[in-house]
Amino acid sequence: MLNFFSPAMLLLLQEEPTWLAQMQQSAAHPDLSKFLVIGALLFIIGVAGVLTRRNIIVIFMSIELILNAANLNFIAFSRYLYHTGSPNAVAGQIFTVFVIVVAAAEAAIGLGIVIALYRNKETIWVDEIDLLKW
Amino acid sequence: MTLSGYETIFFWIFALAAIFAGLLTVMARNAVHSALFLISSLVSVAALFVLARAEFIAGVQILVYVGGVMVLFLFVIMLVNVGAEERGRDEIFNKQKQVTASLIFCLLLAGGLLYAVNKGYRGLRRLHPATPEMVAEQESIRDRSLPTSATGSSRITPDTEAVGSSLYRYASLPFEIASVLLLVAIIGSVMLARTLRQEASADDLDPEALQLESVTDPELTKLEPQSE
Repeated sequence: MLNFFSPAMLLLLQEEPTWLAQMQQSAAHPDLSKFLVIGALLFIIGVAGVLTRRNIIVIFMSIELILNAANLNFIAFSRYLYHTGSPNAVAGQIFTVFVIVVAAAEAAIGLGIVIALYRNKETIWVDEIDLLKW
Repeated sequence: MTLSGYETIFFWIFALAAIFAGLLTVMARNAVHSALFLISSLVSVAALFVLARAEFIAGVQILVYVGGVMVLFLFVIMLVNVGAEERGRDEIFNKQKQVTASLIFCLLLAGGLLYAVNKGYRGLRRLHPATPEMVAEQESIRDRSLPTSATGSSRITPDTEAVGSSLYRYASLPFEIASVLLLVAIIGSVMLARTLRQEASADDLDPEALQLESVTDPELTKLEPQSE
């Protein structure tokens, strides 16, 4: 649809291709850089969640968001390498599988720790869990 | 890689959905709402994986993350349910000063990452110049040469086959290590989540600690002989 609209917009404007038309052209054909930007934004949202939230479970969810953003980058680069004719372009997808495995293990252990903490401290606010502080 | 046609529309829909749901994950007051928004973000990212022709990873993402990890999260939220958060009595974010500092840090990080992506991608474009039309042409030629499925209405891609074969050929040692890691994770989480009572009945408690705890809970010492 964007493909169809961008020539129409050019006809309307009757001007030389400006930055607007250029932006439209690049939006109509999302490439590697768009995937990377989406991944970067998801990563930053995850970092903001880890740094600002008080609920330890939401902090764990933000970590999952961060790992997922990294996976998106791996997949995008895997696809890019496939188009450039790299022989081992599948490596990105395989690494993603291992990232998902490690994320699952991390979530299981982390949530076990949360349950043990809640049993002993009766809280899930991270600013009240200060056993290691002196 | 360049998407075109209908792929573009789906790309922008799922990209915006992933980011919006990610933001709501961080902002939601109720932890259950956070978990549900995280699920929608993960599903949107799985759709982006499909657009990048990684169908197997998209399936793994939905099965493992949405079907496994998020269910675990929801169970833990149920176990440690804290009502004060939902009723709006408690602050969900850290103190003002910490939030300001971390947001400034995140903005700096965003600027740095976007600058790096822009700069690096310009270099990559110089290395592999390809117009979107060229890539689309190449893609459609490849798609047309694929074998059709039994019903004849769709084509079979060899992508999943390639992932599977190289996972077992070139990454078989990491694969085995990952299975050991998962075993360690299972045992570890079971050990961490045990109660004092369960530890006592399995005779897995330090005798001094047992003595100390049995002052408050005299049934603990009675549990011990059961295991013998």
